[in-house]
Amino acid sequence: MIPALELHDVAKSFGPVRALSGVSLTVQAGEVHCVLGENGAGKSTLCNLVNGGVSLERGTMTLYGEPYRPSRPTDALAAGVAMVHQHFSLVPTLTIAENLLLAAGARLRPRRRELHEGLARIEETYGLSVPLDELAGHVPVGVRQQAEIIKCLLRDPRLLLLDEPTAVLGPADVDALLATCRRIAEAGKAVVLVTHKLGEVTRAGDSATILRGGTVAGAGPLAGFGAEDLVELMVGRPMSDLDPLLVASVDESATSREAARITAEPVFRAQGLTLSRADGTLALDGVNLEIAPGEIVGVAGVEGNGQSELVTVLSGAVPPGSGSFLLGEHDLTFATPRGRTAAGLGIIPEDRHHEGCVPAMSIAENLFLPRLSEFARRGLLDRSALHEAAARVIEEHGIRATGPSARMSTLSGGNQQKVVVARELALDPLVCLVAAQPTRGLDIGAVDAVLGRIRSAAQAGAAVLVISSELSELLALCHRIVVAYRGRLLGPVPAAAPQARDEIGRLMVGAAA
Amino acid sequence: MRTNAFVVYGGAALAALLAGALLALGGGASPLQAGAALWEGMFGSAYAIGSSLNTAAALGLIATGFTVAHRAGLVNVGGEGQLCAGGIAAAFAGVSLPDATPTLVALPLVLLVAFAAGGAWAAIAAWLKVSRGTSEVITTLLLNFVGLAMVLLVVHEEGLLRQPVTSSQTLPQSEPLIEGARLPLLGLEGSPATIAFLIAAVAAVAVAVLLRRTATGTRLTAVGHSVTAAARLGLPVRRLQFWSLTSAGGLAGMAGGALVATTPFVLAESFSSGYGFAGLVVGLLARGSLAAVAGVALLFGLLASGGMNLQLAAGVPASSVQIVQSLLTIFIAGAVILRRTS
Repeated sequence: MIPALELHDVAKSFGPVRALSGVSLTVQAGEVHCVLGENGAGKSTLCNLVNGGVSLERGTMTLYGEPYRPSRPTDALAAGVAMVHQHFSLVPTLTIAENLLLAAGARLRPRRRELHEGLARIEETYGLSVPLDELAGHVPVGVRQQAEIIKCLLRDPRLLLLDEPTAVLGPADVDALLATCRRIAEAGKAVVLVTHKLGEVTRAGDSATILRGGTVAGAGPLAGFGAEDLVELMVGRPMSDLDPLLVASVDESATSREAARITAEPVFRAQGLTLSRADGTLALDGVNLEIAPGEIVGVAGVEGNGQSELVTVLSGAVPPGSGSFLLGEHDLTFATPRGRTAAGLGIIPEDRHHEGCVPAMSIAENLFLPRLSEFARRGLLDRSALHEAAARVIEEHGIRATGPSARMSTLSGGNQQKVVVARELALDPLVCLVAAQPTRGLDIGAVDAVLGRIRSAAQAGAAVLVISSELSELLALCHRIVVAYRGRLLGPVPAAAPQARDEIGRLMVGAAA
Repeated sequence: MRTNAFVVYGGAALAALLAGALLALGGGASPLQAGAALWEGMFGSAYAIGSSLNTAAALGLIATGFTVAHRAGLVNVGGEGQLCAGGIAAAFAGVSLPDATPTLVALPLVLLVAFAAGGAWAAIAAWLKVSRGTSEVITTLLLNFVGLAMVLLVVHEEGLLRQPVTSSQTLPQSEPLIEGARLPLLGLEGSPATIAFLIAAVAAVAVAVLLRRTATGTRLTAVGHSVTAAARLGLPVRRLQFWSLTSAGGLAGMAGGALVATTPFVLAESFSSGYGFAGLVVGLLARGSLAAVAGVALLFGLLASGGMNLQLAAGVPASSVQIVQSLLTIFIAGAVILRRTS
């Protein structure tokens, strides 16, 4: 059988950085092929090579037996290769139907009838359908992604690439997506699923190629690998070196863990916080939450139930409509970000690129931006002291970078997050840490590091609030879990309770506790 | 990568040069003749170099200010208006001081007043930006026209700055500044170059140190790259934005003061000569580097006086130099975008 896609000895460098070298890979038609690897392992580069986003430096590619060398994404589309990008490319102010019409290319007259025929075919074959008349910006993330996939399927591709498709999805959406991938493969097409989440791979994949540091660390049918083998191939060290917590979160069954005994007075007190959206509806509808020092409280929930808004209110980006937020003795309800930092509130923002750090500036500058005055000598900035301090942090937190003056944007997502975490944990005293989606988009090694840091912050006496859509992670990390539902926090559910997962699942859809 | 940049910029310059040659042909002079006249006007005499230096000083000050605001992510299009405000304030101070005021007192005072007036002019836009979120591009641009109109007003009104009207020939301009308020010459033989050049150089060096070597500079950079992240990290975003745009106005105002304090030492209708806009272009082309500000300001200063000679000696309209300058700007801007997308 002719393989759908074959890469032979492929290499690509960006300046001095070797993104890929000597990579060979074979994808058969009718299978879901997973490309696994940590961030920075070369997964995205591989995707872009196949999709025509970057050009090949060495090696050969063949598509269904023919030499294949796309120089731009439209070449790839013409050859029958479509890609669902990690970041969606729908116009939020247009309806889904209009977005799908746009994707059909520039035409004088949009061909609505053809679109409907195509959609009917896709629904029949893959069971996929989307609300056509809703604005793309108004539908949930899961639906937006389905629209993206349909957009690709409308071109009837021979090979479908999905780059980290589950990074923004809730558990139910992930299941739906994986089922879709299977159906697409069963229809005889080749599906390449690029991810770093092992749970997905084992559920949906037929075979896998594991990348590490730009080279192939392992490849073959998935049946031949255990979960532990995959982790070891990805990170390049034995599973026993990793945080047991992480192992728990990779393995989807929640671990039983001794119930925490937290007796101290709560230090984090949110009372009746409300926040209105622009259209008058309540994004936060009376949020009450207390966290004691040393306690880790998780917020689970389907996205869009007020989690992000809670963080913007707690971080001071937006003042609440009513209610209060106290940290120890300090009333922080209307405090400035600076005031919050001074009171010992560390925040790991959800949006790492826009809020968590300044990608165009160096690691050293990002680490110490709030504390630059500590490095002023006779009015000038003592850069060598700054870099020395940053080098210590880089060393201590195991941040992989060329040095303190490396730009944040040159780091992989995991290492960027390590910088943000390091900065927030450096607060003295750290009274409370609010971490919003701290592991989103991170690879296993980085998840390991970040979760470990969060837990040790709690052990050192900080009250910790973790907002995450990764339920397994919350179950493994937290003492209590509350569930965000329509601007309220339901629960709490003790994470160690045997039925915790089911209980939370019920609360997520609004069933009474 | 480096060679690529060289090719691109070199190509831009070559293309502009070619366009210039065509314009000269159209003006009835051979390109060689025109080139010789241009060269003569740029480097041919101490006078030419001197007046180029004075122009370069004004452009450099404005572009330096532009760079400060740009570092904080703000685009100051209001150099012209701020220049006018500075010029008016300097003229007021310069004609109303007692005649015997020594240079050491009068000159710093005049320049300071000009700085304050230019700063105040920009502060209007800066305040609107930080308190209302009004785009500073729009407000500073519109304030230019108010500033230009104010110059017209004060030089036409006898109650304000117009010199006493003695005949119908009396020009609408201010009285000359007192002796002590005038910028001293650098003292080069036959050269009209004043110490404005030194002032601009000092300002550029000071700003370069501020931006690159101080905590404030790093904070400005952070605000310029990401307001959200800077706010999250507790930086005083509004204060930094306000003061960066205000200082940009101050530097442009000082350029206005320097123009008024240079021969013929009066505030006249068109004293600004469009330097506010030219300074903006210098700032844009320099793209944040103060060394580049100095270089481009010098080049533009030289081209300005070269253009005048082009008209005098070769009969080619001086505006063709402006066309070449504008083409150069477009080419370089295009080249930058090209390099970014490739």
